[in-house]
Amino acid sequence: MLEIVILGRGGQGAQTAGNQLARALFDEGLFVQVFATYGGARRGTPVASSLRADTRPIRLRSDITRADALLCFDESLLNEAFLRRGREGALVVVNSAREAADFTVADRRIVPLDGRAIARRNDMGKVVNSALLGGFAAALGQPALESICAVIEQTAPAKVAQNLAACREAHALVAGQLEEMA
Amino acid sequence: MNRMLNDDLQLLNGNHAVAWGVRLAGPDVAPVYPITPQTPILEKLIAFQAEGKFDCDLLTPESEHSAMAAAVAASATGARVFTATSSQGLMLMHELLHYASGARMPIVMFNVNRTPAAPWGFWPDQTDSLSQRDTGWVQLYSEHPQESLDTVVQAFRIAEGCELPVMVNHDAFYVSHAVEPVSVPEAEAVRDFLPRRERSLWLDTGLGRSIGAPAGQEAWHASRREMDAAMARVEGLTREAGRLWGEATGRVYDVLEAYRMEGAQLAFVTMGSMAGTAREAVDALREAGLAAGLVRLRLFRPLPAEALRAALADIPVALVLDRNFSPGMGGIVHQELAAALYGHDGPRLHGFLAGVGGINVPVERLVALAREYRDAAPTHAPIWLE
Repeated sequence: MLEIVILGRGGQGAQTAGNQLARALFDEGLFVQVFATYGGARRGTPVASSLRADTRPIRLRSDITRADALLCFDESLLNEAFLRRGREGALVVVNSAREAADFTVADRRIVPLDGRAIARRNDMGKVVNSALLGGFAAALGQPALESICAVIEQTAPAKVAQNLAACREAHALVAGQLEEMA
Repeated sequence: MNRMLNDDLQLLNGNHAVAWGVRLAGPDVAPVYPITPQTPILEKLIAFQAEGKFDCDLLTPESEHSAMAAAVAASATGARVFTATSSQGLMLMHELLHYASGARMPIVMFNVNRTPAAPWGFWPDQTDSLSQRDTGWVQLYSEHPQESLDTVVQAFRIAEGCELPVMVNHDAFYVSHAVEPVSVPEAEAVRDFLPRRERSLWLDTGLGRSIGAPAGQEAWHASRREMDAAMARVEGLTREAGRLWGEATGRVYDVLEAYRMEGAQLAFVTMGSMAGTAREAVDALREAGLAAGLVRLRLFRPLPAEALRAALADIPVALVLDRNFSPGMGGIVHQELAAALYGHDGPRLHGFLAGVGGINVPVERLVALAREYRDAAPTHAPIWLE
């Protein structure tokens, strides 16, 4: 089973990103379960989206405490408590302009991605979720870029072309970085 | 990758699955007041109506108390009525819950189980609905979004079959906001499953009747005897609805579910979303050589005491997992099960306050509990899980 936790602040689109990612994995033939938790729907408070994907129906109804991958929409939320929700060696994609070497985190694979810069370049203002989804899928190795793009096309409420461009740019950027490292 | 899923599955969260069930059941009137985490049910019904797919008088009164008052009044005219709420909203309805059952209104209500204040919270916990267990409503508990859709449709058949109101419950977030593959049945299959029945009593301006007028002692007493007789029919109606639903959709339901209980040496007993995690614990324990099983209670009111005794006959030990808390007593399912087993041969019981306030209960915790308590002497006081 693949387990993912996405953390953002209310209004940033973490819940939407979780739902889009789940749909892309579902479209690829996996069973999925994704649920958001929040303490009261206020903009700016932390919102977590928990996602499970498996080749068989998912029955577990508990929190994800050993995620394979974490996606963090806001660098200020990248604290110990969040990192502990990932298992040892978990992938952590964080929306940040800093370099990977700037993060001193043991036993986690940190991939920073400047979602804000990519969003701005693609006329998306501060809306980073399509960029982060593209970069996250590249780092994780699934779902395929085209699966994510198909979901964005179906679900983006506005600026579909810009969302797709941001997603593709981030995916290419992270895929390129991984290739260089390999 | 091979597609393992049926193509008729769509991704729906638990609340939207409920809204689909309601759309298919076709109520005439739905007075609903929004509250987290129930609101997506109302939002989806409004969206269906805006698309012209849900022909229903959708009322949005100023409070849950008024929503239930409107539900009772609408039901009294013979209309099919749905409403939905959660936690504080359900408790604000309390007075009228008694009224709805006493007046024998077959209203169906969906409640999303959420912690009651204070302190304020939005977490999965069944204390809200369980504290309404003496109001005369039938209560069913769902484990997952598919079951929530299926059960809300069945609830109309049960309610209209006994002329008692039915409350269906699912847990906040773990079910209400969990997006999963859900099969939405054909409208025609639901219409056949849920024929319109004539009510034994209804109001009409031309009829010159009233309902709920002051009654003498004898008439009031008789009303409770009649409710008791109606409640006695609920178990059979629930089984029948679950069987017919199985014929229509392939998904069969009963008043309770026994999971891997063959030859079990230990059983978990629980309701709602906790059952999903308990299934994984049962599989892990069996894999490790301890024959565990699970009894998931689906119908809570009326309590299917005989079925519970039968499911737990010959089981040495049962661990009750209550995601609720009755202060001064403990877990409510534990109390009810102990009462059902009293005077009968039954398992040694241990009652756990598991996940109260929505705290996480992982598989490993349940596996450890089974190992710790499999040979323990029965405990009477509730045991808090950290």
